[in-house]
Amino acid sequence: MRPDVDQTLAALADPSRRAIVELLREGPRRPSEVAAALSITRPAMSRHLRVLRGAGVVDQELAEGDGRARVIRLRPAPFEQLRGWIEEIEAFWGDQLASFKAHAERVYAARLRESGSPSGEAPERDPEGESQR
Amino acid sequence: MSDILEPTRPAAIPGDQARASVSLKVPPALAFEIFTAEIDQWWRRGLRYRIARDGRGILHLEPGVGGRLFESFELHGRTKVIETGRITAWEPPARLCFEWRAVNFKPDEKTEVEVEFTATATGTMVTVTHRGWAAIRPDHPARHHLEAAPFLAMMGRWWGDLLSSLRLYARPS
Repeated sequence: MRPDVDQTLAALADPSRRAIVELLREGPRRPSEVAAALSITRPAMSRHLRVLRGAGVVDQELAEGDGRARVIRLRPAPFEQLRGWIEEIEAFWGDQLASFKAHAERVYAARLRESGSPSGEAPERDPEGESQR
Repeated sequence: MSDILEPTRPAAIPGDQARASVSLKVPPALAFEIFTAEIDQWWRRGLRYRIARDGRGILHLEPGVGGRLFESFELHGRTKVIETGRITAWEPPARLCFEWRAVNFKPDEKTEVEVEFTATATGTMVTVTHRGWAAIRPDHPARHHLEAAPFLAMMGRWWGDLLSSLRLYARPS
């Protein structure tokens, strides 16, 4: 697995950090709000934030209407990378299944030709079975 | 059934599985037979799909539970065998499961591939589900004193929810 995905999963392996991310799904929040809502101490909160920021799971921005207050929000990028990983695997199997379909239908058609029935019991192998495309 | 992962089959975990399906004009029993017995003939060739450097390794799938899925190839005059995993379910013509270990996995890391053959009006729908990816990560749950199965279930469910909600939440830039 690629290191960026590893990093995301490692950051999310901690229950408190998952709770933080869970809360941020509703929208950006001040760190103090998050800490209060989850009963996390201030030092622990900054430790978790450091890990989450380091993994690129969250970032900070200035709150609208109050130039001094900072809020933390989720960054979609790491989750898109996780998704991207799953999509790569799906593409891999999609290719394999397309190739399987081509081969299986060729074999079946050859058996039907030989036996004249759709029983699929014809013992002979399609002589062209090896040729791709 | 002492396998710790057995009680919570990762099937229920959204977001932790890749799925692909194809529908073919072949009856299920024959589809199952060709999928397994002729795997080397339909499995794609080339580096993306095969382990041997020239992409010419031969794929084998030994029938029955406990059978191996492996690739063999000649290297420096010797036959080299690389096992991807063992068959864990063999239910012709409906279902097949095997473990899937990529070459870069650690010894205790594995994912699972399930292949389902469903009869349709015109032949068979073949669906591949490749699951267990949430388990492949640097910090193994054992080190956090959490059992693997509950951790996986929690993590996977959570991850799936998060992915779907983030698609709504994600904003430009």
